[in-house]
Amino acid sequence: MSARPAPRKAYWNEARLSWWERAYLPEILRGLGITGGVFMRNLWRWMTGRKGALTTYYPEETRPDYGRHNRGKHVLTQRPDGRPQCIACNMCATVCPAKVIEIDAAFDPEDPAHPKYPSRFEIDYSRCVFCGLCVEACPEDAIRMVKEVPGLPGADRHRMWLGREELLGWNPQRDVAKPYPPKPAPGGRA
Amino acid sequence: MPEIFIDGRAVQAEKDQTVLQAALANGIFIPYFCWHPQLSVAGNCRICVVEVEAKGGSWLDISCNMPVSEGMRVRTDSEEVRAQRKAILQFITLNHPVDCGICDKAGECTLQDYHYAYNGAPSISHDPKVRATKFFDLSRRILLDNERCILCSRCVRFTREISKSHALGIEDRGDHSLVRPAEDGCFDDDPYSDNVIDLCPVGALLAKSFLYKARVWYLRPTPSVCPGCERGCAVNLWHRRPEWQLNALDPRQNTAIARVTPRENPAVNGPWICNKGRDLAAIFERARAEQAMLKGAPVGLAEAIAAARRLIEAARHPVALVSNWGSNEELAAFKRSLAGRFSAAFVKIDRQPDPGERLEDDFLIKRDKNPNTAGARALFDDAPAALPAATDLVLVWGEGGDFARLPAGAKTILLGSYLAPENGHADVFIPVSIQTERRGSYTNFAGVVSTFEPCFAKKPAVADAEALFAQLGAEERVPA
Repeated sequence: MSARPAPRKAYWNEARLSWWERAYLPEILRGLGITGGVFMRNLWRWMTGRKGALTTYYPEETRPDYGRHNRGKHVLTQRPDGRPQCIACNMCATVCPAKVIEIDAAFDPEDPAHPKYPSRFEIDYSRCVFCGLCVEACPEDAIRMVKEVPGLPGADRHRMWLGREELLGWNPQRDVAKPYPPKPAPGGRA
Repeated sequence: MPEIFIDGRAVQAEKDQTVLQAALANGIFIPYFCWHPQLSVAGNCRICVVEVEAKGGSWLDISCNMPVSEGMRVRTDSEEVRAQRKAILQFITLNHPVDCGICDKAGECTLQDYHYAYNGAPSISHDPKVRATKFFDLSRRILLDNERCILCSRCVRFTREISKSHALGIEDRGDHSLVRPAEDGCFDDDPYSDNVIDLCPVGALLAKSFLYKARVWYLRPTPSVCPGCERGCAVNLWHRRPEWQLNALDPRQNTAIARVTPRENPAVNGPWICNKGRDLAAIFERARAEQAMLKGAPVGLAEAIAAARRLIEAARHPVALVSNWGSNEELAAFKRSLAGRFSAAFVKIDRQPDPGERLEDDFLIKRDKNPNTAGARALFDDAPAALPAATDLVLVWGEGGDFARLPAGAKTILLGSYLAPENGHADVFIPVSIQTERRGSYTNFAGVVSTFEPCFAKKPAVADAEALFAQLGAEERVPA
């Protein structure tokens, strides 16, 4: 074969256009056709009462292939009176491989059964690796990871600290089958 | 020197030693709760049990109260001893709440360590635990959790044998026994009371100042010297480890002294310190001066040093008042680089006793409330009642300078670490580092030299006195 090799590309994905592509207008019209076709199809589905676009309305809707092993976002569980179950023992903060959990403990002399509680509980979501070790380490079932809590994404990595109030926001009271927070134990505080 | 055999190993023991002491001195560990090298033998915890072998058979007995005798054979790790230790730990934890998660002692608790080393099994008891007082106010500084107490009586023996306040006792019997002060508030008057917190092998005695402040594994001890009086007790300053620095919570926790504990030094303080030594954070964590000033106007550090040099060069009769809180190294640097430029240098007494403070006793507390008076007096003279009238420049290093009594018209250079009204009145004010930011040594009243290590980094706007004296005394001009 004596065909001359094609000249070397200036960069790895430099476009090599045929004369038909260089004519410009036909390719533009073809592209408009693809976009318009998808739009018209979705519009038709929507008009006939079906779901159009592939967008998943997370978290109300999850796709079956949505990360089965994704553990979800951290929540702090509550006692019946709404205070955190957490005793600020720092087991989660100690086991955390990314060292993202910081807890300020405080003393509550009014409650001798739970004298130590977290006055602040902070998780840095920009560094969290979602390994779930904090959930495993917790001796009180005070920290859990649940999938149904939205709000993972953030726009500023310096503002991805999750505070105590947000962690305590998980409150699925509408679930009649499993009321939460739990009812107070008979004859004493839980 | 009787020879005894521990686990078959021949050991040379002193004549008045017990088996426990002989074993520990030869690197054989026997667990103990109630025994303490500085206290009398109580023999109530039974965990130091060993097996004594004799011709007629063998028996179990506690080693802390067993004097050595020639040719004696004991086993510290036989099957019987292990079973007995396990049973004793089951008994000790019978009414212990095992609330390690919220216990400040967790991580350095003898009971926790021994449980993992010698027992490891959950409680076999089916009976409910006996409840007792939680968070009993033993004194203004100490909380007592009677449920965690294992009644080893170390604290009681400490108040009887070491601090001699006789403030504590055990009342009631059996599992209703409670450690209680002999009278209401009498433990407040014991200036050594906080030592019982370190003595307590479990988390029953808790410092109110450290309650729930940090888990102990987040902290690191830095060897230091207590500057509270001329005794110069060896202490450990506990502060947050660099790998556990906080990002979201109060950043002051990263550079704060979480607690102070004694560091054993038989030549100075043994294993004890007084309560004032526990409150060193109150001395070191006052508002710091971090801005060099010329007559109250903020300037850069280099500019202030240059101004101080000009003042020293221009003065005819400059006098220096050196700090007795300066380390030996700083005092030597002053003597070496700067003393020749002053017509006289005197030792200034930085701190007078606080009102109501205990002045002196026959145990640790000394009258002079400054750490390095002996080291400073070795190099410089005591200050006269009044400085010479011809003095036209005074360099005051450290606190406690009496500016009202300086000769009229004299210029002042002040080297200080803390915010004070006189900082703005000095012609030159240069901020200098404090003990927790540098390495050095103090000489105590008896001539014992103890060294301290830095815990925190010095801020760049603050000078190190040692380097500062070299700069001030250098021959060529320092560029401003």
